[in-house]
Amino acid sequence: MILDLIKLILTIPFVFFLPGFFLLLAIFGWKNPKISFFERSVLIVPTSLLSIDFLILMLNRLGIILKGPTIIGIILAFSLLCYAVFFYRHSRKKAEKEKLSADFFHFSYWQTIFILISIFLAIFIRTIYLTDTIVPSSTDLGHHMFWAQKTIDTGKLPTYGMPDFIVGEHIIFAVVNLLSGLSLLGATPILVLLLFNITGIFTLSMLAGRIFQNPKIAATVFFVTGVLYAINAPQGKYVSGGVVGNVIGNMLIPVALYFLYRAFSEKDSDFAGLFIFSTAGILYTHHLSAFILLYSVAAIIFAHLLLNFKKIFQLVGDWLKIFLSPFPLTILLLAIFCFLFVYTPSYFNSAAISQATGKPTKITRVGLSFEQLETNIGGARIILGTLGLFLLLVFYKKRDYKLSFAFAWAIVLLIMSWKPGWLYVNVPSNRIGNYLFLPFSLLSAFGLVEFSKLFRKSATSFFTTAFLFVLLFFVITSGMADSNEAFKTRPQFQEALETFHSAEYLSQKIDSSQDVLLKDHVNIYADSWYKLFFMKDYNYPLSRGMLFRYVDPTKPRETCTRDMITDPESESAKKCFAETGVNYIALNAQLEGSSFEKYPEFSKVYESNYISVFKKVRP
Amino acid sequence: MPAKIIIIATIILLIVSFSMLFVIEAKNHNYDYKKSWSVVYFENPRDLSEATGSLQAGDSLDFVIENHEGKNAEYTYKIFINDEKIIEEEIEIAAGAKQKISPVIEKEKSKGNKITVIVTYRDTEYKIYKNK
Repeated sequence: MILDLIKLILTIPFVFFLPGFFLLLAIFGWKNPKISFFERSVLIVPTSLLSIDFLILMLNRLGIILKGPTIIGIILAFSLLCYAVFFYRHSRKKAEKEKLSADFFHFSYWQTIFILISIFLAIFIRTIYLTDTIVPSSTDLGHHMFWAQKTIDTGKLPTYGMPDFIVGEHIIFAVVNLLSGLSLLGATPILVLLLFNITGIFTLSMLAGRIFQNPKIAATVFFVTGVLYAINAPQGKYVSGGVVGNVIGNMLIPVALYFLYRAFSEKDSDFAGLFIFSTAGILYTHHLSAFILLYSVAAIIFAHLLLNFKKIFQLVGDWLKIFLSPFPLTILLLAIFCFLFVYTPSYFNSAAISQATGKPTKITRVGLSFEQLETNIGGARIILGTLGLFLLLVFYKKRDYKLSFAFAWAIVLLIMSWKPGWLYVNVPSNRIGNYLFLPFSLLSAFGLVEFSKLFRKSATSFFTTAFLFVLLFFVITSGMADSNEAFKTRPQFQEALETFHSAEYLSQKIDSSQDVLLKDHVNIYADSWYKLFFMKDYNYPLSRGMLFRYVDPTKPRETCTRDMITDPESESAKKCFAETGVNYIALNAQLEGSSFEKYPEFSKVYESNYISVFKKVRP
Repeated sequence: MPAKIIIIATIILLIVSFSMLFVIEAKNHNYDYKKSWSVVYFENPRDLSEATGSLQAGDSLDFVIENHEGKNAEYTYKIFINDEKIIEEEIEIAAGAKQKISPVIEKEKSKGNKITVIVTYRDTEYKIYKNK
């Protein structure tokens, strides 16, 4: 166990530090007034992730089998190449003696204490929550790890054949496994997601610091994002639930917007290139996050042009000048080359794109109610965020990028989740709502800081203190109510292990080329991990899904997987058995497991406290 | 300097958190650690008619009891042909161990009949069977 832990602790910096560190070194040099120590440190993890993704895509395209030594070699070669670029570009320059002209991350003593407490609480609450869910069990993570394991087993990136999965969700887990040798059926995937989740707090703080040019606001983001609603989706619950794409997207979207903000506001082509690089990375990682980012960027550009209508041509000219420079153009061409000739994401087709746009086709896509919005964003964040939005509109000049960025980002996400039809968005509204916390955290931090400043100026210190006390009391009680869950959950380790035991038994005893297994997703915990024991194909074993999934007014759904468990003696089920060839069924022993005993055409070949396995004797 | 303190403190906290979660997972990813369950299964899950075609009837009825109760446990197992009890035995299995049992049943008796194995530990009953 200790040896495995050491392997993990050595692998993480190699994968999540080295490539990003050297990439930033090549672009910005050792010391550069453009980028502070804080920003450089925060950007290392996301840029490492993006670099690894592109390196693996390239290796795969070249037909090189993905193995541990190959990956170590390519990471070292990439780092060396970046170092060579750094040496060529920066070493002859005189060391920058000037102090950072505007370091928005030079935190005061009390701000540092506040951030440290917030980070401690953010990590502590998530860790306590995860102690009860750390044994792999979540459905989504099981599905994702199947593809990561496929990559590990074959040494090649998988061909998905479906738009639901994107290669960037799986590469990093395969890489960590190939380097450390640690099983995916362990803590590693969740720990990687926890790293991304915590880094996401930092990336949002960095974006806030730059947009509002105020270290206080950057510091407050740690509290608003890290401590408030630390368990609710898309925080701790998404980490334990293995919602890989969202967790990575929540870390990368602020990074992409940070680069865009700096490219626009400082007319800097280095940041423009990095914006294209990070956007391409998101396109390879998560379709919904990419969709959200593209809508957000479009809204920011549109809002800024609208707010500065008189200077519209000058602005467009400036932007073209920034983006048509050698560095961003090179990155853009490389990204296009990568999309066309190296690896095209599975969702990149007209059918998938037209499915996500247009008039909402389902009841789940027509928008969220206010109560649902409150659940997604959090009551405290809604109040503080609305306050922030109001103060932003009142006190900031319309030509400022900070107004376009903070305002347009929040408004477009709000419309996408509240009235998606207005923007021709045809995606489950709840899934879009999960991104609302990003701009609302930004606005909440802004609102909290600016409002306290406003009161300090205009009221007595007693009134200020009393008001802030009441506001903070509400924010903390509302925002930390979900953290109680961290201490209340009941671990289901035994159920998970019994599920794994039955899967292990079946994988050893049955012949998956002839026998067809059906398992029950409704009543078996951690069942999605079954497929990792067989590694046959994504749809093996067959699975009875949640019952509501069989009722879809827009198109007929297969019902065999339901009927063969619900009523195996019915005519439709008999037909299904004949068509699918199902001859083994794994069930919850206490539920269908005991009722299945009445069917004479089945033998029961396995029983534990939790799982029963039946074998069909006769057709 | 404050930024350095923040980054270093975060790295330390993450190392502590990761180590703790890793150790908790490794300990709990064990069939016996703080768990209490048993399992009974046929060594060869294929049904009797299939098994008798290729194997000896006795082999196909081999079954295994695994003890994950967290302590040594005494199990009682009974074997029935249809409703007739033909074997009743007790067996002690050490904590975390498993025991394979190969019942000797006449081929003629088992052929074409339902064979049921009922294993009892305290009040819990585990039943596996092969239908004809």
